Amino acid sequence: MVDASKPAGCVPSPVARAKWTRLRFSIAVLATQVLVLAALLVMWERATPKGSPAAFMFGSPSAIAGFLVQMARDGSLWRDAGVTGMETLLGFFMGNLVGTLLGLSLWYSRFVSRVVQPFVIALGSIPIIALAPIVIIWFGTGLVSKVAMSTLSVVIVALVTSYKGAIGVDGDQINLMKTLGASKFQIFRKLVVPASLTDIFAGLKLTVGFALIGAIVGEFMSSSEGLGHAIFKAGSLYIIPKVFAALVVTIVLALVLTWIVGKIERLLIPWRRQA
Amino acid sequence: MIAEAATYAKPGEGGAVDGAALPLVVEHVAKGYDFNGQVVPVIADLSLTLRKGEIVSIVGPSGCGKTTLLNTLCGLLAPDAGRIRWHGRQVVGQPQNVGYMLQKDLLFPWRTALANTMLGLEIRGVPAAEAEDRSRAMLDQLGLHGFADHYPATLSGGMRQRVALARTLVNDPDVLLLDEPFAALDFQTKLLIENDMVSLVRKGGRSMLLITHDIEEAVSIADRVIVLTRRPTAVKAAYEIELGSDRADVISLRENPDFSRYVRRIWANLDVAIQ
Repeated sequence: MVDASKPAGCVPSPVARAKWTRLRFSIAVLATQVLVLAALLVMWERATPKGSPAAFMFGSPSAIAGFLVQMARDGSLWRDAGVTGMETLLGFFMGNLVGTLLGLSLWYSRFVSRVVQPFVIALGSIPIIALAPIVIIWFGTGLVSKVAMSTLSVVIVALVTSYKGAIGVDGDQINLMKTLGASKFQIFRKLVVPASLTDIFAGLKLTVGFALIGAIVGEFMSSSEGLGHAIFKAGSLYIIPKVFAALVVTIVLALVLTWIVGKIERLLIPWRRQA
Repeated sequence: MIAEAATYAKPGEGGAVDGAALPLVVEHVAKGYDFNGQVVPVIADLSLTLRKGEIVSIVGPSGCGKTTLLNTLCGLLAPDAGRIRWHGRQVVGQPQNVGYMLQKDLLFPWRTALANTMLGLEIRGVPAAEAEDRSRAMLDQLGLHGFADHYPATLSGGMRQRVALARTLVNDPDVLLLDEPFAALDFQTKLLIENDMVSLVRKGGRSMLLITHDIEEAVSIADRVIVLTRRPTAVKAAYEIELGSDRADVISLRENPDFSRYVRRIWANLDVAIQ
């Protein structure tokens, strides 16, 4: 193997060269991203000197960092992130489980899927936040109501993406299964479900964000802990940097969850990795 | 001298009740499509027979309804009129022991070459160990030794079509219905696969119906070539192809002087519009 990092002068193999070109590209992308972020933060910091009205209105990166450190030290960061993370995960899991099962099973019956269609569209068009008061009346102010909110924001999306995947299966492949003597259930299990996995995972990645939104909206309405609670409380007290600090934690949480889903996808869809 | 059969639609030819031995008898089949409330006839009135161990090619002008014919034969579409009998019996749904292959390989990307080959055996409930042994042997026979564990995305077009062929042949079908299975391949690849396929089909004493628009392919492979008319289609003529006793080597057959004579005769009889 030729070491891709060797300086110019020795001739690298074409494979190593292609690898190096790709690596250089990713490094360039990452470096530019870091630079853009750094530039924004510097501009922000410059525009909001300590004690100025601008610093009060918009916070400043240094103040946000200060709050992050403080929240990490007093443990509220981990507690709030943990609570919201748990609500999000449970809602994400339940919403996707129910939505995907329903979406895939709609493939079974054209009649039922037609009947259900307008109801799905109607439910999908309801802003989840509008349901929050009812959800809190029904499920209380604890964990369950946030999980319910999170589940509700996920379930329709999961249903629609998995159904789309299921009905998008190549008709010729279904015909092939039929000529091989497959029953409807065999077609479902051996063709429709695996063929839909790509769409299902696209839905999973999309719904990480939705699950988080649901949980945080739930916390906004009524809660005593969680990132939504922290944001709401800090906002009410006009502690803008603390709002941003909690937002940063929320973003990191979303990134971590998306990353985990991506890892699981690579485990479950190995045939795309080899290609 | 080239024997040319007269117009083909001889009612009752092989269609008598004692035609039970014939793998496939098609009598006066008609099929139309519903297009905006109007029925567009695709197959006008079509009769043909396929004898045991016989290879028949069907050629016709582009868009004459060859694919509709194939889908009707294998029970994916119901004929509007006429009878289709497999081994003397009319079948509801898919006929047994019929292999079906299209231009698209229809391999499942989430299955390895081996698992794709095993699909039909799996559906019929053949024990996994036996299914695997048979599939591996079939892949070996088709020159895919060492590729059993590859995913389709890593195989060339020709290899993928070989896997599709293995998937068809491993079920030990009496009759193969093929719809331009190698049309997307380059000429050399196509000749080699055809050669392997024909020798396997002839060795196994199977019957084969090959739909194609390639007259050379039709003549080199088949014992009989049926020419279809334009849409709505019917049988226009049939040619018995007599090119010596060794019909398994479709490559050297092409050097036979009679080969090009057959090709010219059939070409002249095909309703191809000359722009």
